[in-house]
Amino acid sequence: MKIPVTLRVNGESYDLMIAPYRTLLDVLREEIHLTGSKKGCDVGDCGACTVLLDGKPVNACLVVAATADRSEITTIEGLAQDGNLHPLQQAFVKEGAVQCGFCTSGILMSLKALFDRNSSPSVDEIKSAIAGNLCRCTGYTKIFKAVESVIQSS
Amino acid sequence: MRFELLQPGNFSEALEMKKAYGERARILAGGTDLLVLLKDRKLKAEAVMSLRRIRDLNFIRVEDGKGVRLGALVTHGDAAASPVIQERFPELAEACSQVGAVQMQNMGTVGGNLCNASPAADAAPPLLLMDALLTLASATGERTVPIQDFFLGPRQTVLRADEILKEIFIPEVPGRRGATYLKLGRRQAMEIAIVGVGVAIRLNGSDQQIADCRIAMGSVAPIPLRARRGEQVLRSQTIKDELIEEAAEVAAEEASPISDVRASRGYRLDMIRVLCRRAAREALARAQLKKREGSK
Repeated sequence: MKIPVTLRVNGESYDLMIAPYRTLLDVLREEIHLTGSKKGCDVGDCGACTVLLDGKPVNACLVVAATADRSEITTIEGLAQDGNLHPLQQAFVKEGAVQCGFCTSGILMSLKALFDRNSSPSVDEIKSAIAGNLCRCTGYTKIFKAVESVIQSS
Repeated sequence: MRFELLQPGNFSEALEMKKAYGERARILAGGTDLLVLLKDRKLKAEAVMSLRRIRDLNFIRVEDGKGVRLGALVTHGDAAASPVIQERFPELAEACSQVGAVQMQNMGTVGGNLCNASPAADAAPPLLLMDALLTLASATGERTVPIQDFFLGPRQTVLRADEILKEIFIPEVPGRRGATYLKLGRRQAMEIAIVGVGVAIRLNGSDQQIADCRIAMGSVAPIPLRARRGEQVLRSQTIKDELIEEAAEVAAEEASPISDVRASRGYRLDMIRVLCRRAAREALARAQLKKREGSK
């Protein structure tokens, strides 16, 4: 039996009828059609589905969608403002901090949460912030370069 | 993964629902363990009861002269970032900041970590060191269980089918106390402990005189446990390096680790000794840093 659920995603409200056991990740991708959050492992290991729940990074694959009805959800689609990419996104483009791209949206969300509370994080803080985001292209060096460039230009 | 979703708005409603559903309903706090088990079909639940709407379960409260009380929904991230926990019980902050990675710490709760009763639960050894008291509530009343008596086996606790963990109380320890929790994994994040060891040391007046020593271990037996005989080696003794070595040896004798994909029994026994020695020295150094006359 489906239940009515209203989700706030990237500042917009979505009234949905969904099965009570569906995860936030599946609802974002299949009902709201925001496919930027990726499904890698689906059990909280890879971080590809990272979204912000009330400003904090969480794995959307481990959130029951209906329990997120009182939270503000931010996905990668909500990162650009007024058609302008977020400084982190711009830096990723400029430094080529993307290989296959599958982990990128999750990593950007983890980094956005870090920058929202700390505009000049140390290397250790950056590493710790994305420790739950796996990049199997092993493209971390360019990701760190991109982050460093954001810190320097701010 | 299919289930009926229960979302009580307050705690007494949750207790009534738990009474009605019993074992058919599983409690969802952070979900970082429960949803993985449900997805892997290692666990079946007719209903899942989310505690997320119950606002008064998420608090860290200092009770002057008595201790610190944590609501069941305090996340690992909340505990690790709490100045109260960092200052009074650094071993708990250290353990919580080593659970999984940021995403897990933001959702997973200290209470859920205990209720899942993994032998590797990072929050368990620190709370064992502190003789934490758990408040288990049901529609018919509450009872307080020392954490020592809470775990029965892997994924088994004394929680009855109609009960929900409500609070964790950490009694204040007077005097010069130092403690730490060390976790061994193959990497620094997204890791289940191969061995976890916590040590707490309380000094008498002198920097060299141990009043009390406590050792707790995870991933080395079916449940997280205290090394009571190892503690005895150091309790009421003047510090000597040989005593720390001996305490570590004895603690390893109290463990009964298995060989699994993460490590062999022999390696775990060796690492218990290493971590015990390191943790004891660190706990001691931290205790010595505290002011002699100070009570905090």
